[in-house]
Amino acid sequence: MTEQSLLVRIGDHVHGFLRDLHDRGLPVPVPKQRVFLQAIEAVGPRDATHLYWIGVATLTTSHEDLEVYSPTFEHWFGEATARRVPDDEFPDDEAPAPRGKGDEAPLTAALGGEAGLKAGSSERERRPVFGPASEDDRAVLSLLRKELPGAVPTIRSRRRRPARRGPWIDVARICRESRRSHGEIVTLRRRNRPRRQRRVLLLIDVSGSMKQHSAHYLRFAHAVVGRLDRVEVFTFGTRLTRVTELLRARHVDAAVGSLSAVVLDAEGGTRIGASLQEFLANARHVTVARGALVIVLSDGLERGDCRPMQAAVRRLSLLSHRLLWWSPLACDPAYRPLTRGMSAVLGSVDALAGVRDLRTAYEQVQTLIRE
Amino acid sequence: MLVDQDTLGRRLGAEGYLADEGLLTALHLAGTLGLPLLLEGEPGVGKTEVANALARVLGRELIRLQCYEGLDASQALYEWDYPKQLLSLRAAEVEGRGIGDLYREEFLLQRPLLRSLRAASGAVLLIDEIDRADSEFEAFLLEFLGDFQITIPEIGTITAASVPFVVLTSNRTRELHDALKRRCLYHWIPFPDAERERAIIRAQAPGLDERSAARLVAAVHRIRGLALLKRPGIAESVSWARGVQTLTREGSSWLEAMRRSAGLLVKHEEDLALLGRHTAEVFGD
Repeated sequence: MTEQSLLVRIGDHVHGFLRDLHDRGLPVPVPKQRVFLQAIEAVGPRDATHLYWIGVATLTTSHEDLEVYSPTFEHWFGEATARRVPDDEFPDDEAPAPRGKGDEAPLTAALGGEAGLKAGSSERERRPVFGPASEDDRAVLSLLRKELPGAVPTIRSRRRRPARRGPWIDVARICRESRRSHGEIVTLRRRNRPRRQRRVLLLIDVSGSMKQHSAHYLRFAHAVVGRLDRVEVFTFGTRLTRVTELLRARHVDAAVGSLSAVVLDAEGGTRIGASLQEFLANARHVTVARGALVIVLSDGLERGDCRPMQAAVRRLSLLSHRLLWWSPLACDPAYRPLTRGMSAVLGSVDALAGVRDLRTAYEQVQTLIRE
Repeated sequence: MLVDQDTLGRRLGAEGYLADEGLLTALHLAGTLGLPLLLEGEPGVGKTEVANALARVLGRELIRLQCYEGLDASQALYEWDYPKQLLSLRAAEVEGRGIGDLYREEFLLQRPLLRSLRAASGAVLLIDEIDRADSEFEAFLLEFLGDFQITIPEIGTITAASVPFVVLTSNRTRELHDALKRRCLYHWIPFPDAERERAIIRAQAPGLDERSAARLVAAVHRIRGLALLKRPGIAESVSWARGVQTLTREGSSWLEAMRRSAGLLVKHEEDLALLGRHTAEVFGD
């Protein structure tokens, strides 16, 4: 393509290209569109490849944007000769770790390829219904909200704050105050590093075997999100779903009810190992687990090979401050974690406790406070 | 930017940094339009190093701000030298003269952002691992990145003498705010293809012959294809190459040296175990 024809095509197509990006799900704000045009004017693209990269630098804001950007660019300006190097490929010889929510191929493949995809799409037709909380539940939730902060372990903050007592002299404050008294130091001010809550990570099993407990767990998660500082909540059945933002809604029934639209694998199969590995394959999620109080709410009934689950729980345990496993089965005094999955992960878990509803969750929270 | 894109590529290459066309375009645009450049990519692909190389190429001072949780404006921007102010007050009292202005230049401690604005011949400002800082700090950066100016209440607004070349890096441990992204150009640095990585390794580990570099890079690419907890970046493959070079100079065979120094490439016990299970396919020619 000659420079002249490219410039003509840019002129002809630029508005359609930008509109198409918007239509395909990559809306570019006007200031960025302006920068794109400025960039074209300032450097004068040599060929389609150069124009491709100018667009990448000015119109996209994340790696994932390329999934929309690249085909749209190709549609309007033809194929850029030098394409980005695919770097998200995972091999198929070891248990593959799915990468982020956009890439579900390994999971769907494991579920039976096309058949798995069809099953996945039919999930949309039978969305789970997380019913409203009863009066009893509301009473327990209110108690939970009061008690929760005391149950979370704390850590000393890195920031120094003004305090009445503390090992550090607050030179800035002393000097500011002493200016009023012509340099005389009247009161010695101090700074300290206050304690703050550790991050909390909840991983909630919503598979079929947990059907009667899932709604209780999600209501518990709503109380945790509403009451504590830094919380992340994920659900898993056959896939991993981040639900923290939806649980921020003020009303518990509205928040938990809205999850029906996104947690599409609820009341289905269980793939604990694969879901936890999906969590650990994402660097952003790993940071959430680092040094956190991690609570897995699941019966631990893994289907098939238990090794991925064992490896994932072990890594989660190494990353976290404490790893608690809350299982409805453990509410029964006669319960022994003898299933292959649970017996394999037991060594990595700090505590296994019985939680089947809000009342038992409240009891566990009180146990944490006493510890 | 004083140089065109091809010259920039050649000069970066001379400094040992081999950038692909995408990164070069982004760098060139950032310099030409005077906009900050946000670089993302897996750890070890050369996000920080590009700022270092760029500073050498442009002959500008590199000013680095390493972000961390709890970083606040006083550590990034400026602080008043309180002890010095206090001593000045006491001296004025003893000598019986007026206090004068306590917010003079001599009492101002300049932190990286202010220094980058005041650098007369421009600077390369590296705001490293912005995702580690709190979102409040991100918000604080908006004025700086939008207008290249900062306001000190006691002095007034300071505008850049020469617009600094700003490079922000992120490992994506958390989502950055849209407002910040809107002000920046963006580029994702991928793992390099085999040819580029061979060239990088030969530039960084002088003395390595073409065939050895090819074997090493082939092994690195096979290892990246395994389901590792942490895939090795370019930094790791360069240090592996240097390690292998050292061991072969001491008499180890090439294959043995690659095996013995595999800890320079992968840093998790589980990954080393996985590597052990795939020895033949990884190290075989």
